[in-house]
Amino acid sequence: MFAAGAPERMRAGARQNKAPGGPVIEVSGLRKRFGDNEALKGISFVVRPGEIYGLLGPNGAGKSTTIGILCGLVRPDAGQASLNGIDIARRPVDARRVLGVVPQEVALYSEFSARDNLNFFGQLYGLSGAALTSAIDRVLQRVGLADRAKEPIERFSGGMLRRLNIAAGLLHGPSVVLMDEPTVGLDPQSRASILELVRSIATGGAAVVYTTHYLDEAERLCDRIGIIDHGAILAEGTLQELRQAAGAREIIALRGTFRAEAVALEVEKQADVELIKASEDELLLTVQRAEQQLTQLLAMASTLGTVREVAIRQPSLENLFIKLTGRELRD
Amino acid sequence: MRAILIIAAHQIRRVVRNPGLILLLLAIPLTLAVMEYAAFGRTAAEGKLPPTKVLFLDEDDTLASGAVPQVFSGGPAKDFFELAQVPSRDEAARMFTRGDASALIVVPKGFQDALLAGRPSELVFYANPIQTIGPEIARSMVEMTALIGNGLYAQALEPIGRLKALFDQKRDPTSAEVAAISQGFFEAGRRLGGFQALGDLKVNVQRPGEAEARTGFGNDPKMFFAYVFPGLVVFALMFIAQSLAMRLLRDRMNGLQRRIVMAPVSPMSVVMGGVVYLVTGLLALLVALAVIGAIIFRIQLRDPVSLVAIGLGFAVFAAGLHLLSGSLARSDRSAGFVGSVVVLVLSLVGGTFVPAETYPPFMRAVAALVPNGAAQQGFIDVLVHRVPLADLGGRLGVTWAWGLVTMALAVYFERRRLRV
Repeated sequence: MFAAGAPERMRAGARQNKAPGGPVIEVSGLRKRFGDNEALKGISFVVRPGEIYGLLGPNGAGKSTTIGILCGLVRPDAGQASLNGIDIARRPVDARRVLGVVPQEVALYSEFSARDNLNFFGQLYGLSGAALTSAIDRVLQRVGLADRAKEPIERFSGGMLRRLNIAAGLLHGPSVVLMDEPTVGLDPQSRASILELVRSIATGGAAVVYTTHYLDEAERLCDRIGIIDHGAILAEGTLQELRQAAGAREIIALRGTFRAEAVALEVEKQADVELIKASEDELLLTVQRAEQQLTQLLAMASTLGTVREVAIRQPSLENLFIKLTGRELRD
Repeated sequence: MRAILIIAAHQIRRVVRNPGLILLLLAIPLTLAVMEYAAFGRTAAEGKLPPTKVLFLDEDDTLASGAVPQVFSGGPAKDFFELAQVPSRDEAARMFTRGDASALIVVPKGFQDALLAGRPSELVFYANPIQTIGPEIARSMVEMTALIGNGLYAQALEPIGRLKALFDQKRDPTSAEVAAISQGFFEAGRRLGGFQALGDLKVNVQRPGEAEARTGFGNDPKMFFAYVFPGLVVFALMFIAQSLAMRLLRDRMNGLQRRIVMAPVSPMSVVMGGVVYLVTGLLALLVALAVIGAIIFRIQLRDPVSLVAIGLGFAVFAAGLHLLSGSLARSDRSAGFVGSVVVLVLSLVGGTFVPAETYPPFMRAVAALVPNGAAQQGFIDVLVHRVPLADLGGRLGVTWAWGLVTMALAVYFERRRLRV
């Protein structure tokens, strides 16, 4: 296990364990429409063995639809997705044999013990007899619940349930693991423990797709990150690549009451100011040096309305996210 | 197939681990059967109505007044009435309030004198206001007796009138008057003599068909539970099916079903795993109820093949019904509400609470066409009327047709919901 708060060491370990082969997960031009809502607009990405791919986006961005397609639960309108070279749409059951899924909600039977829960899920993956017993022992050890195996899980803490939730997805030794916000609602200690566990899964050679709301998790954990919004991947790359894409520009957020229709015209008159978002209650702008340009921007904003709050953000992944999507991750 | 069995076995294991609600639901038909037996069972077993308690207050205390209770305590009436003397009207009122009696008959003072004097005489009848049927039975008996008495009296009205006139004039009759009065009584006697057979009148009760070919519960009162229990079992089974199906629905809402579908099993296997769990569970509980019925209520489980054929068909229907409502519902609350309403309506129409044989013809036909009504009557046909499997075609056909159609719809909608 990795120590908490050691992201660089964790990433280094992951790189060393990456298999030399091609991608395990290949997603190409996925499109999906639910009525009038175009949930996916041609998403493409690949994930290699031992790699953790972070899918970062707000609610409704298209993460769940993407996960649903990778699990074979949602049929895409166009495009292709494969796991280990198996086309998911054509052979969903075969594809799911190599897939381990850790859903966002704790999907376990509360009246059963940890061992009984794993016993059931193991059987669904074709395990039985000694192989099943051995697999259960192994994953319980791995998630640190071996000594609580026979207890009814209704006595478990939130962190323990999350770990068991992960264990159920790892039981059959999958080469692809999809983790849908596995740390939601946990305390920092439990989160750290689960992040270590995720890193160890990748270290073992599995390709991991990790969706999250937490930018710091994505920064600490993921080898590559795809920023998704409105059904499209807006940016993709390593953390370093994304930071470079964000540039050295800072973001100034002005909150108050504005005439949104007049903003674009006023911003054009300002030197070295880019508009990200303009609404009646918020203006998001990027500038080279916020401290130097703040007075000038406040003067401009006062011609557009009333400013009640000013915030300056330093260059970061969050800045890039805001720059790309026009909103914060939790919007 | 393996996945179907794994899922079904897992769900059944959950029920076994956490059987509280199911045990509670199992107790419903047993409790209702005991309650129905307490209310009607003894009467039905003996083939008699429960006795109506009538109070009697003799304020006249004469020979004639003392004969009045004979109306209720003599002849066949003694099986239908329980007569009790009371010392006062107040005591009778207290017993009415407690529901201890249905009626009070008072013979007022001067009753005999009025009879002898030829004046109008009356019995006073009080009905217990908190009861309905008992007082009506007692009143009918009193009025009928008075009617017969008045009728007999009317036959000798003419000579009695002559006698009364003589008494009023306080004189001895002449020879001609004696002859005329004697002639009058003689004529009355001759008229009644024509009905000599009335003195030995019996009622010969006949029932259609041969003794072995019983066609109604009334022919064999010992079959009380075999007649009552199937309806209650069918009723309980529908609620048990709802409870079992709700577990699947909650699994869906808690993300457990989604997790199962993410495993390498086909969506159809997941759906069929639920179906096998529901049908197997219901059939097992049906067998348990049948065995309990045989042990506690002495129901003879004759023709097990027919019973299983009906029971399986109904289990398929009950499972399909609640699986379908779960598939179409947006929440467990709406599924629970819709399922409960459907079960109650079916139970009312199918004859769970009131025997369908007492329905008007149209409703009786409807009862035979709803699945629970057909299954209930099928069970009764086998257990009470000893109908062989070959003659159960109609009941089996209706039960299985409902079962297969409902289940097919449930599987279709469940399967469709699992694939977006």
